[in-house]
Amino acid sequence: MNAPDRYERFVVPEGVKKVSYERDTKIMNAATFTVEREDHTIGNIVRMQLHRDENVLFAGYKLPHPLQYKILFRIQTTSQSSPMQAYNQAINDLDKELDHLKNQFETELAKHTRDY
Amino acid sequence: MEGVSYQRFPRIKIREVKEDFMKFELRDTDASIANALRRIMIAEVPTIAIDLVEIEVNSTVLNDEFISHRLGLVPLTSERAMSMRFSRDCDACDGDGQCEYCSVEFYLRVKCLTDQTLDVTSKDLLSSDHTVVPVDYSDVSSGFDSNSTNKGIIIVKLRRGQELRLRAIARKGIGKDHAKWSPAATVTFMYEPEIYINEDMMETLSLQEKTELVDSSPTKVFGIDPESKQVIVVEPEAYTYDDEVLKKAEAMGKPGLVEIHAKEDSFIFTVETTGAVKASQLVLNAIEVLKQKLDAVRLSDDTVEADDQFGELGAHMRGG
Ligand SMILES: [Zn+2]
Repeated sequence: MNAPDRYERFVVPEGVKKVSYERDTKIMNAATFTVEREDHTIGNIVRMQLHRDENVLFAGYKLPHPLQYKILFRIQTTSQSSPMQAYNQAINDLDKELDHLKNQFETELAKHTRDY
Repeated sequence: MEGVSYQRFPRIKIREVKEDFMKFELRDTDASIANALRRIMIAEVPTIAIDLVEIEVNSTVLNDEFISHRLGLVPLTSERAMSMRFSRDCDACDGDGQCEYCSVEFYLRVKCLTDQTLDVTSKDLLSSDHTVVPVDYSDVSSGFDSNSTNKGIIIVKLRRGQELRLRAIARKGIGKDHAKWSPAATVTFMYEPEIYINEDMMETLSLQEKTELVDSSPTKVFGIDPESKQVIVVEPEAYTYDDEVLKKAEAMGKPGLVEIHAKEDSFIFTVETTGAVKASQLVLNAIEVLKQKLDAVRLSDDTVEADDQFGELGAHMRGG
């Protein structure tokens, strides 16, 4: 009867920011990113991509609770970079990787559908 | 620091493609990407499914909501889904979700007039859009009983005098919302195994010991070459990471006789769909959906600006 709507899991409510950012007050070049209505799918790929960045000293994500539909990233970088720069870079690199993946898949598929 | 990139260049090799099944290799990336694609194929690639049912007459043995539920689970051809609107985002029909941009209308009218039991099937659903129809399973190449006359998915059975009349609205949705919208029957990936046999150590085994070792694996990973009587790897991918051969080697007092590693950057995917979209299209749609999701989690300009000001303030305070 009072169950929340199923779309609550993946639709960002009005007036809520998709991504918010909070600097760490005690540690230099550290910050927390809160991403609304996302889960392990985004959390894990972004974290793993951040680990490839040599200026990233720490990158982790958590899904605080299964009924809180958001994830948190913690990022700390060297002074050569910043959490925001690393985060943007990770997303750009993943985006390019997926572009490449799509091209690869399409060319492979063309090879296979030709000899059908 | 601009211009530095940590991008990877994954490779794909397709092994098999059918209408609703495919198998391919994904290399030079990590498990996070493989798993993201798997999760998206199951829960986030959109399809079209019946979401609203208005029952006009129902004198069947099944109640209204039971029939509505069954109708929802009928797979509909969903090539259109990627370009369609979600009803909740549709401004053409301000929220009632019944316009042509975000919905497809179906009618079903069946009455039994004979003494023979009449099957009401997915084929009785009449669509307002010829591109969105119940999936036809009769001529799928991999098909099950293609020789028997396929009449679609049975929704309910009628006896003489019983009738079912209804209108249904199909909408775009994702598996995360309700499993009826999931285009995936199964999507799995496995790490490619790398099996190494220590030939010198294997030489010290008798033929019987070799046979025992080969038979210790619950799946047919190893075999014995009929000519040379050597233990060979027959089918590395049959290995289920069960460790049985390794335990056997240990028990025989020959640790290291066989070594098996999971290659951490190679995955073998198996994709099966419900028929709502082609298997190959499902993978492509998953990549597209993941790209859209990544785009949605980019920092907005106002967040960046707010931080720039904060940064200046911080520098000022530190400097001051
Ligand atoms: Zn609409």
